[in-house]
Amino acid sequence: MASENADHAVWLRGIEKQFPGVIACAGADLRVRPGTIHALLGENGAGKTTMVNVLAGVYRPDAGEVWVNGQRCSFHSPADAIAAGVGMVYQEFRLVPTLTVAENIVLGSAPRLLRSVEIEERVAELSAAYGMVADPTRPVWQLSMGERQRVEILKSLWRNASVLVMDEPTAVLTPGEAAELGAALRAMAEGGRSVIYISHKLDQVVAFCDEATVLRQGKTVATVEDLQEVDLTSLAEMMVGSSEGGYVDRPPAMEAGPEVLSLQGVCALNDRGLPALIDINMTVHAGEIVGIVGVSGNGQKELAEVINGLRRPTEGRVTVKELDITGASPGDLYGMGLAYVPEDRLGVGLAPKMSVVDNAVVRSYRSQRQGIFLSITKCVKFCQSLVERFAVRVGRLNDPIAGLSGGNLQRLLLGRELAEQPSVLVAAQPSRGLDVQGVAAIQGHLVDQRAAGVGVLLISEDLDELLALSDRLLVMFEGRIVGEYGPDVTPRTVLGSAMAGKAPK
Amino acid sequence: MAKKFLLKLLVVLAALTLIAVGCGNDDDAAPAPAPTQAPTEAPALEPTEAPEPEPTEAPMDDGVIAAFVFVGPVGDAGWTWAHNEGRRFAESQTGATTHFAEDIPEDGPDFRNIVVDFIENEDADVIFATSFGYMDAMEELAGEYPDVVFEHASGYKMNEDNFGNFFGRMYQPRYLSGMAAGALTEANQIGYVAAFAIPEVLRGINAFTLGAQRVNPDVEVHVTWTLTWFDPAVEGDSAAALLEAGADVIAMHQDSTAPGLAAQDAGARWVSYNSDMSAFAPDAFITAPVWNWGPYYARIIDAVASGTYAPGAYWGGMDDGIVALAPLAADVPADVAAEIDEVAAQLIDGSWDVFTGEIRDQDGNVVVAAGETMEDGPMLGMEFFVEGVVGSATG
Amino acid sequence: MIRPVLVRRDRVLPATQSLGFVVGILVALVLGAILLWVSDNSPAEVYERMFDSAFMGTDSLSRTLERTTPLALTGLSVAVAGSMGLWNIGAEGQMMAGAIVATGVAMMADGLSGPLLIAVMLASGVAGGMLLMLGPALARSHLGVSEIITTLMLVYVAIRVVEWLQVGPWKDPGSLGFPRIEEVPDQASLPGLFGRVNIGALIALGLLIVFSLAVSRTAWGYELRLAGSSPDTARYAGVSLRRKVLTALLLSGGIAGLAGTIQLTGTEVRLTPGLSNGFGFSGIIVAALALMRPSGVAVVAFVFGAVQVGGQSIQTLGVSSAISDILQAMILFGALVAAVFFNYRIRWTGPVGESSGEELEEPDIAVEGA
Repeated sequence: MASENADHAVWLRGIEKQFPGVIACAGADLRVRPGTIHALLGENGAGKTTMVNVLAGVYRPDAGEVWVNGQRCSFHSPADAIAAGVGMVYQEFRLVPTLTVAENIVLGSAPRLLRSVEIEERVAELSAAYGMVADPTRPVWQLSMGERQRVEILKSLWRNASVLVMDEPTAVLTPGEAAELGAALRAMAEGGRSVIYISHKLDQVVAFCDEATVLRQGKTVATVEDLQEVDLTSLAEMMVGSSEGGYVDRPPAMEAGPEVLSLQGVCALNDRGLPALIDINMTVHAGEIVGIVGVSGNGQKELAEVINGLRRPTEGRVTVKELDITGASPGDLYGMGLAYVPEDRLGVGLAPKMSVVDNAVVRSYRSQRQGIFLSITKCVKFCQSLVERFAVRVGRLNDPIAGLSGGNLQRLLLGRELAEQPSVLVAAQPSRGLDVQGVAAIQGHLVDQRAAGVGVLLISEDLDELLALSDRLLVMFEGRIVGEYGPDVTPRTVLGSAMAGKAPK
Repeated sequence: MAKKFLLKLLVVLAALTLIAVGCGNDDDAAPAPAPTQAPTEAPALEPTEAPEPEPTEAPMDDGVIAAFVFVGPVGDAGWTWAHNEGRRFAESQTGATTHFAEDIPEDGPDFRNIVVDFIENEDADVIFATSFGYMDAMEELAGEYPDVVFEHASGYKMNEDNFGNFFGRMYQPRYLSGMAAGALTEANQIGYVAAFAIPEVLRGINAFTLGAQRVNPDVEVHVTWTLTWFDPAVEGDSAAALLEAGADVIAMHQDSTAPGLAAQDAGARWVSYNSDMSAFAPDAFITAPVWNWGPYYARIIDAVASGTYAPGAYWGGMDDGIVALAPLAADVPADVAAEIDEVAAQLIDGSWDVFTGEIRDQDGNVVVAAGETMEDGPMLGMEFFVEGVVGSATG
Repeated sequence: MIRPVLVRRDRVLPATQSLGFVVGILVALVLGAILLWVSDNSPAEVYERMFDSAFMGTDSLSRTLERTTPLALTGLSVAVAGSMGLWNIGAEGQMMAGAIVATGVAMMADGLSGPLLIAVMLASGVAGGMLLMLGPALARSHLGVSEIITTLMLVYVAIRVVEWLQVGPWKDPGSLGFPRIEEVPDQASLPGLFGRVNIGALIALGLLIVFSLAVSRTAWGYELRLAGSSPDTARYAGVSLRRKVLTALLLSGGIAGLAGTIQLTGTEVRLTPGLSNGFGFSGIIVAALALMRPSGVAVVAFVFGAVQVGGQSIQTLGVSSAISDILQAMILFGALVAAVFFNYRIRWTGPVGESSGEELEEPDIAVEGA
């Protein structure tokens, strides 16, 4: 065993990890050779972040083994992982803005007596060695995002990390900074360190990395020994590739009804103030399911938020049944017939610490009143009707909802949204992370809604689901809709190319 | 006392160890902490020094029960400590039973509650309260408990039957301490750390300044307000700031020793207050105007015992011994020391008092004409600073 | 290596909660007995006195209730903000602000009749507390500035303002040069109920009932709890977070302002820098022990008040103030620790692979698949 592991800088073996309502890892593997840059690919929720957090000592796996540099490790805290040589650079930097670069780098690992001049010299040496320019005396708040990232990397190097994990490192960088980062990572790999690189940007992955592991639904579904030998299209396909489990058969084609949702020239910014949606034009008709295809991070989340009033568009307008709803509040939109199943079930769709009843009335509490009070009887009755109609398995209705399984959470959420016969349903990743029956149940409801004349906008990273359910597919890439396809007539490779930004114009 | 405390602590620790070790052992019943002794009436601080007046013949128990309410901790070495020394003196002198409560806030229900407890549960005959802020509540309580005597330090309210106030002419020894400070300052700048801009404090600052000017006409007294009676950190910082600004002697109207420690650290000198604090900063210490409440307390207790108590507004001076000057540091020049003795003698025999003209205020207006002496009324309501004081008399 | 980890319990029954409270206090009393014995006091005598002076007889009850009133109001103030996940650390300052404005109004409206003057003063006290909270509330709702820091800082501002008022513009000319503000007019004193208890206690009780109903039973309270529990869900439900933050904080400030005014017109006679007397800070502990539920505040405030009254009174037995303070702190700490253990449980975690992660709970309602 040990000899087999010796060639690996990191070996995560059969990692299993479950969170309330979600199975994050279901026996995933990751092997990284020393001196390589290893891409960890997969859609949101595929288990990438859980895997690296297990490696970083943040989570303890329910099952599985962690090997670092040929040693079996059992991390109780991030400090243990750091001591074993694992360095983690998160998307959100963990720096103290008021301290200098040098102070941030040595924070937590400084020798007893801080002689700042000496430390600054050593930090300068370190940064020169990897071509990462950083003035050790400057306070961090003055630095650009790219410079701050360098400080994070230097911090790991200072602690002598042999494995550096980078989560979406280029998301905050300009193209020039991204190229510099690539060079720095290469220098580190040549020095014998390993890098685990998480990204959705496939062109950068191919440009920077040597090998890759693809996760899907918490399992390793593919490993690529040499990234130079695969093309972007097949990588994209691997990520959204076929999943096990039956899908609801696509319902017979129907005559599309009148237009119920339309977007005209919509533009919006993401949370960092960068363009996330660019000139989106699309319509959804009554009785049709429109699928949004794309590698995540290409504007799908923002699209759903703009339609549901959670994000203001900078340009353009949104109409529901020819009524301009641009800028209306999410609560009002629900009243106008717009239902929304958000991607983040337990953070946006449901309030995990509140009771099942409280969560059931999120959309309708205003109409559950009796005089000035909320009628508990009405609320409970409403909740019970949802539970029965959507076959939600619950215990006590007054217990926190976080105790429900993922499938039941989603059933309650979907049921709540459908309770008052909407005309449009926006469903983002509605079946992600659910078991087979859960997936089938949710998909069944979507099809039923279509049959009932609801216009459904389905945003998913599951290509099979989209192919099975949609009447039309729209492909999103870098904030634009780059193509519209019919599911029956389009080969998967064409969709793959479009998702990778190579749509035939 | 300390030894006994340690012993008991050891017993407890040993018991805890036994419980921990013998977990599950049936024979090892947990030793319940049974009180073995009646509680002794326990002052928290051993006096560093015996009260000055030597105990006379064996005191006779006159059956009076006196309760004292203090605003600070008896261990403050300052205001409350001096009062507590007075309480101990009075107890030994009169044989009365005394109780006290410390750290009682001026506002809120605490003061009232504790006084009622003393009266209802301990049958107190006389209540002494030692902070200005208790005044309104005292007045009210005096009405509710006509059979109990209420004596209030530093206030101005009283009634016909059972509520009096008492204070001392602290400005007299303050004047003397100013003379000593004026003789020892080389920078001619004295820093004065003061609590609140009230007549009592202004009077003290003015008397101190007049005394310093008597031996050193060029002297300036710089005042900073701390807005607290007892806060060692703030007091120390204020003293340090004054020293930084050029003062080489620190005087104070505060209750902690922190200004003295700041002065000693800076190699400067210090006039303390309330009690002889020479032990805390021996190099810095010059002298101190001190309180000696004991004889007054003993007098009131005796009057209550003999049924001759009548409330008054007592404002005693050096002649009565309620205020005094602590011993001078050795380096106070002999001629100045002699002059201090001389002035002290005049203050005691009443032939001269501090606020005797001509005295000008900060703006140069004559407030006391030459040859005249200020009456008690204006002195008690003093609101100005004399010439030579740098700072604002309104806080 | 095996180490303990605190895990939040899924469900806490109110009965266990109360039991925990009692157990925690009992444990503290046992430890306190050791402390008393070591410091040469008789635990039995001391505890008897504590109990007597807090509970036995109308005078004792009146003392405890006298303290309960401001503690309940400041506790409610903190809890109203707390039910939205906000921390009002500055109830102490808002008490002062309320008392300042009420005093100012009383000076101007001296001629009004008693009930009218009282009503005007109470209303202006609420306004004063809200006024001091306005800055922190706006900074929090519109700029995201932590209300913890801003509310705390303003405590000292408010106290300094009183200090300035009493040496400056509001100095009472009749106080022989002493810096004191004039007494509030006699007709402004709150009518008494019994002993030291005035109608302020009824006002506090009324507000506690109103707010516990409002938070648990109205759409407004539902939105408040939703916003506190999961802000994104609240936004999704159409709740304006800004408006909710503003109303929760302003109400919190207003209630504390009312507490200050009730102290001013009920138990004190004039505005002084010590008027708030630590009640505002104690309110934080009261609210935390009541788990931010207005319904729990009344009980906790009563116990807290009793501990303070009892703890203070034992000084008359010769117990030093230091020991009495430690004893009071131990009792409250015991209750606090109990509250922690009745909301969390300890899980001993083994090495990797042998235990499930601490994030994972076995939910009391076991539902799997479907």
